[in-house]
Amino acid sequence: MTNTKPPAVEIDAITKSYGETTAIRGVSMDVRDGEFVTILGPSGCGKSTLLRMISGFAEPTTGDVRIGGKSVVGLAPYKRDTAMVFQDYALFPHRTIAENIAFGLRMRKVERAEIARRVDEMLALINLSGYGGRRVSEISGGQAQRVALGRALVVRPSVLLLDEPLGALDMKLRKQMQAELKKIHRELGLTFVAVTHDQEEALTLSDRIAVMNAGSVEQFADPETLYRRPATRFVADFVGGANLIDAEVGPAGALLFRGLPLSGIGSDAVKDRAIGDKVSLVVRPECVATSALGGQAPGPAIEAMVTEVLFSGAVQQIVGRLADGSLFVAHEQGLKPPPERGSTVLFHWDGSLSWLVAR
Amino acid sequence: MSARPRSPQERGGFALLSLYAVLIYLFLYLPIAVIVLFAFDAKPIPGLPLDTLTTGWFVEALRDQKLTGSLLTSLRLAVVSAILSTLLAMPAAMVLAWLPIRFKSLVMAMVLGPVVLPQLVLGLGLVILLRSAPDLVGEPAIILAHTTITSSYATLILYSRFLGFRRSYIEAAMNLGASELVVFREVILPLVRPALISVFMLAFTDAFGEFVVAWFVAGFTETLPITIWTSLRQVISPKVYALSSVIILVTLAISLVSQLWVIRQTRLTSKVQTS
Amino acid sequence: MQAGAGSAEKRRRRFAAAGIAPLMLWQFVFFVVPVILLLVISFWRTRNYRMVPDFTFANYIAVFTNGAMWRALLLSVQTAAFVTIACAVLAYPIAYFIAKKAGRLKGLLLIAVIAPFWISIVMRVAAWRLLLGENGVINQSLLSIGLIDQPLGFLLYSPVATSIGLVYAYLPLYVLPLYASIDAIEDNWIAAAKDLNAGPMRAFWEVTFPLSLPGLIVGAVFCFIFGLGEFVTPALLGGGKQLMMSQVIQDQFQRRLDWPAGAAISIVMLVIVFALLAVSMKWFRKASGEKL
Ligand SMILES: Nc1ncnc2c1ncn2[C@@H]1O[C@H](COP(=O)(O)OP(=O)(O)OP(=O)(O)O)[C@@H](O)[C@H]1O
Ligand SMILES: [Mg+2]
Repeated sequence: MTNTKPPAVEIDAITKSYGETTAIRGVSMDVRDGEFVTILGPSGCGKSTLLRMISGFAEPTTGDVRIGGKSVVGLAPYKRDTAMVFQDYALFPHRTIAENIAFGLRMRKVERAEIARRVDEMLALINLSGYGGRRVSEISGGQAQRVALGRALVVRPSVLLLDEPLGALDMKLRKQMQAELKKIHRELGLTFVAVTHDQEEALTLSDRIAVMNAGSVEQFADPETLYRRPATRFVADFVGGANLIDAEVGPAGALLFRGLPLSGIGSDAVKDRAIGDKVSLVVRPECVATSALGGQAPGPAIEAMVTEVLFSGAVQQIVGRLADGSLFVAHEQGLKPPPERGSTVLFHWDGSLSWLVAR
Repeated sequence: MSARPRSPQERGGFALLSLYAVLIYLFLYLPIAVIVLFAFDAKPIPGLPLDTLTTGWFVEALRDQKLTGSLLTSLRLAVVSAILSTLLAMPAAMVLAWLPIRFKSLVMAMVLGPVVLPQLVLGLGLVILLRSAPDLVGEPAIILAHTTITSSYATLILYSRFLGFRRSYIEAAMNLGASELVVFREVILPLVRPALISVFMLAFTDAFGEFVVAWFVAGFTETLPITIWTSLRQVISPKVYALSSVIILVTLAISLVSQLWVIRQTRLTSKVQTS
Repeated sequence: MQAGAGSAEKRRRRFAAAGIAPLMLWQFVFFVVPVILLLVISFWRTRNYRMVPDFTFANYIAVFTNGAMWRALLLSVQTAAFVTIACAVLAYPIAYFIAKKAGRLKGLLLIAVIAPFWISIVMRVAAWRLLLGENGVINQSLLSIGLIDQPLGFLLYSPVATSIGLVYAYLPLYVLPLYASIDAIEDNWIAAAKDLNAGPMRAFWEVTFPLSLPGLIVGAVFCFIFGLGEFVTPALLGGGKQLMMSQVIQDQFQRRLDWPAGAAISIVMLVIVFALLAVSMKWFRKASGEKL
């Protein structure tokens, strides 16, 4: 008996092709027991495909999937200890709420009395006590979402899979359900793997997030790391939004933007890079401020022409255009008088809040 | 939201359309009304004016062994054809709708073929085929012929119904531990049952009333349409109208009730709110 | 690992094959083979009322040179075309009415249009004989109100009677696809057109009509195909003077026992049917749910 449990889910060098198109190209990741992992990425990047390979509705072309340490490749979906919450909920319309929740238990040949007890318990957990006798057509969207969750949870799967679980809900309900989902995860201590394209939702819910792009995982890390130190240009831009300055490493620790060194960049910023490396400097808009040209900026700074000032109360967005044509955004406090549109100003930030990623 | 007439102009249009609709429904149901009406005409050769009415022809029709015999034959053969074609159509339609298959357009052509093929042509082809199996002429041949036609209709109707069936129902059930067989029994069958029943009823009605193909392959077997056809070529006895009117009313009732029931059922099971 | 993925795929294939095989086998034996047989014997000859294997085009040449057969072919095409147009004109307003104006009665009204279609064709024709005959309901009524003083003889046993019978038979069939495509047109699109200052007529021609075209064409194709091959209606209502194609085929087969000749006409009819279907395939795809 080892004291370390095997990871709840291990995805090992998976690829998946549909004929000519490759949906997944070489993905590996582990999900620890009891963890809430979210797969985040733009539409069509292969999130659902990955989830479907865990649940058994798709088989990897190459690679292995292990659940609780055992390979499940080739195992039928109904023999896997996973349960899924579908994007459209897929609640059986010919059955009542209680019957829907009981379905998985019946399949597992649980005793009648035990089924009744666990269904009641689940109805209480999802705040739908007393709704058991209703038909699926007689409940609201948010309630249907909770029933779908309850139907999957009641079988106590070793992994709960959620494909865009909140996608069909409106903004307010979404926020509310996020909190409930988080609470249920904490209470039950089960392993959750969710899929979403909403970065805010991923950041709120997850212990760790796998950011996918075009069939591969770009970064797999906890929300803070993902936000503070994205590993790639794509992650920086997709999670939280970022300003990117495409530059090149020059001699003597300089960072060259269009051939000229950027001011205020310390040499330790580029210490691990070789001369000539193509990199992007990443800085979040909320770390950037503007000041008039000619002033002395304390840290790194870059000139840009102001093309747009968007005022929204507490925050105002100042959009500038860099010399190479790319956009650069600063989120400044709303009380500060904004620069004029069309003027050229200095965008500056604290050097410890920007970093380099490969391009 | 149904478009309620608003401006006077639109109201006028609506009135005109309604009037037109009434005329069309009259046209569709006039022949039916007439045949039912003349079933009560006491004259041996039915016609206007309707002076004396009688229910005697209904009794006569029931006493006529030839008529009742062919009615029973028709009922029996149609039930067999309906069962066979539902059994053939259901798995085929499920595969067509849910599983990727090769040569799909060839398969669809084979399914659509008997629907668009003139029935006379199918009948003649079968006559030639039956030369190599003369024992089948008669009841077996009629069943074979009707099943060929009705299984095509049944497959097409079921296929379009199954296309609208959400695949995630199947996946959800499997995901909760149901094997293929259990998924079929617990989820698919209950959800497609209305469609199956309506397809069975339609196949039955179609096989019951079909004349041309049956006529070619019937040999000495007489189905009800064949008997009526024969009597239409001679002086027609009002008995035939009496029997026909009963069957017409039953047919109408069955198709109305079963279709309305299907609409209700699908409404009950498909109204799943998602937001 | 590869093996696992393969086996799931293989099982799916086996499911698919098992599900579809019975129907395919059935249709092959009782639909494909008969058509092939017809094609084969259409090249044979008949001698002393018996078929002789051969490879001759004589039967086909006869279809287009023999006056009677040619006339039957023409009459069939004409009748089918007339019936198609008549059905289209009659069906469009009613399909529109049911789809857009019937409100809650929609389902019931649609079913009520279709229901007569399920009554045996023989019985429907019997009913029209009661209506159209010299002593039939229509003549008697017209006589008694004094509109005519001689029964109208052309009502029964004439191409007119055949056409009426066929329109009656295929009107429900035409309403169905028309209804489907008109019903799929969202009220909002029509409202948007009106909002952009199109009058009701203009909105109809710019939005409703083009969007209902798939249904209109599919209905027409079906109506024409079925009208072309219909046998019972012309045989019982059309009288024996002007024959339609199906009657000639039946005559060749059952009375003259010249099966090869009958087969050749059948094949000509089939070619017309399939050519029409091939040409209109695009519209079938549009009409069958391929959303815009
Ligand atoms: N059964 C299939 N056959 C062929 N290609 C497929 C199939 N399923 C998915 N794909 C392709 O694989 C890629 C990934 O699809 P997937 O459904 O995993 O995307 P996704 O990230 O879930 O997108 P979304 O956010 O839109 O749901 C897409 O390009 C898609 O077209
Ligand atoms: Mg997806």
